[in-house]
Amino acid sequence: MIPALAHIADASPRGRGGVRSLARRTADAIGHAVAEVLENDELAGGPGLMQALDPRVKLASILVFAVTASFVHSLPVLVVLVLATMGLAAASGVSVVSFSVKVWSSAGLFALLACAPSATAWITPGPVLIPLGPLSITAPGLLIAARLVARVIAGAGFGLLVIWTTRWTDLLRALSALGVPDLVVATLAMTQKQIMSLLRTVENMHLARESRMLSTGSARENRGWVVDRMAFVARRSMKTADDVYDAMLARGFSGSMPSLVDLRATARDWAWMAAGVATSVLVLGIDRTVFPT
Amino acid sequence: MTAEFVLSGAGHSYGPAIRALDGIDLTVEAGEHVAVVGANGSGKSTLLKMLDGLAFCTSGTITAAGRPLTEEALEDPAFRREFRSRVGFVFQDADVQLFCNTVFDELAFGPLQLGLDHEDVRSRVAEVAASLRIERLLDRAPYTLSGGEKKRVAIASVLTMRPQVLLMDEPTNALDPRSQVWLLDVLDEWKRAGRTVVIATHDLSAAAESCDRMIVLSEEHRVVADGTPEEVLAQRDLLLGVNLIHQHSHRHGADRHVHPHAHEHEHA
Repeated sequence: MIPALAHIADASPRGRGGVRSLARRTADAIGHAVAEVLENDELAGGPGLMQALDPRVKLASILVFAVTASFVHSLPVLVVLVLATMGLAAASGVSVVSFSVKVWSSAGLFALLACAPSATAWITPGPVLIPLGPLSITAPGLLIAARLVARVIAGAGFGLLVIWTTRWTDLLRALSALGVPDLVVATLAMTQKQIMSLLRTVENMHLARESRMLSTGSARENRGWVVDRMAFVARRSMKTADDVYDAMLARGFSGSMPSLVDLRATARDWAWMAAGVATSVLVLGIDRTVFPT
Repeated sequence: MTAEFVLSGAGHSYGPAIRALDGIDLTVEAGEHVAVVGANGSGKSTLLKMLDGLAFCTSGTITAAGRPLTEEALEDPAFRREFRSRVGFVFQDADVQLFCNTVFDELAFGPLQLGLDHEDVRSRVAEVAASLRIERLLDRAPYTLSGGEKKRVAIASVLTMRPQVLLMDEPTNALDPRSQVWLLDVLDEWKRAGRTVVIATHDLSAAAESCDRMIVLSEEHRVVADGTPEEVLAQRDLLLGVNLIHQHSHRHGADRHVHPHAHEHEHA
């Protein structure tokens, strides 16, 4: 079920000069966020290599992959790991383009900004590739930055793939099965539910306003409306929290949150895990022997 | 036989200025099906919360199965366990009541809190899910359900605790006609099983159909009528006075009719 706002996002009137209002942009962002969560659940429930695996195995795989990516030194091997995540995405029915855009534009960009100074002669001296005075890009500096960015992209990409191919409910079950305290898991579940519920509230508020407006209003009015609604949602959130606590008490809540986790690993899951560990050892071996530092 | 609930001069205030209930004298016998009706803000929901030990008397007293129902009493784990397993509460807003990861977890929450063994919990969940025909929802996250499905799951989440007393706040709210009929059938089954039900509603037709006793709360938060649905619904002046029905006029050609009119939904 895709929220109405996701469909009408581009159909609304534009403000002066064709610039969409802050209220509209905020509402669009909310609509798209809800749609993304719901679409993600659809993708996670569909066919695919990663979808078929036990969520605990997938979570454990993140750890194996992250450790492997952290210990690899050579750029070519890191690039192979990045390509491997793209291959897994394709095998899981995930659009490689949208997957790559998402990883590059978030984790990749962040890593690039964080390590940009280390590519300069100021931090890493060496032969200059691009002369920019004290901020000249050096060959060893560029290699260090490229390694870090590739490592982050590989790790974040695999993590994102696990999240995209696992239903939220299964992820939480897996966390519980792997020993995360039930109270923490329950809090995560309630947080997700509360966010979705509040997003729907905001969506409805916006639609109610939109249906009674003939123009987009001034930027000042729109900012005022957004701030006012934020305050309303905050109050509503606190009231809902009280009500939820009452509902928990009514069903006997006494401070602990025991749960029944019913996950069974199959031969395929064990095979995946064994292959993952073996690949990790192989990758680290190649990294150390073929590309020694 | 001990009465299920006895309220003597019971009142509740939210702070010094906001009075929600005032001087309520009421006895609910075991096996009774009682509808509490009243306009918005008359105190129906507060009364249910008091019966469930979620709000407490600020004046007067209330007992449940012969024991005082107070905050201190519910701090006793043995009493709390016994009381919570005996009295179930279905909230008006199903979204509030559904706070677990999946529908399965939701149905298992109450029995697990009661300390039942896992096999027993699983069998209760399967039994209730089958009886309410929600098996296909068990793996879903509650926030992805429709309004009617949420209501079913909310009711199921209480039924797995096998309560003897069921409190329901506006049970027919947000239900489509088919689900309303289903709910009335469920209430009918409980009546035959001898379980106690107290519903708060201003859906007069649902209240009359599912209950054998009707209690009317006034806008001054007091009980102003207590009798069978037939007796209460016959008092049109009283129902007009407490804002449960209103005068409605319309025309048939040249003829103008004026008659009382009841609403089966919340006034905004």
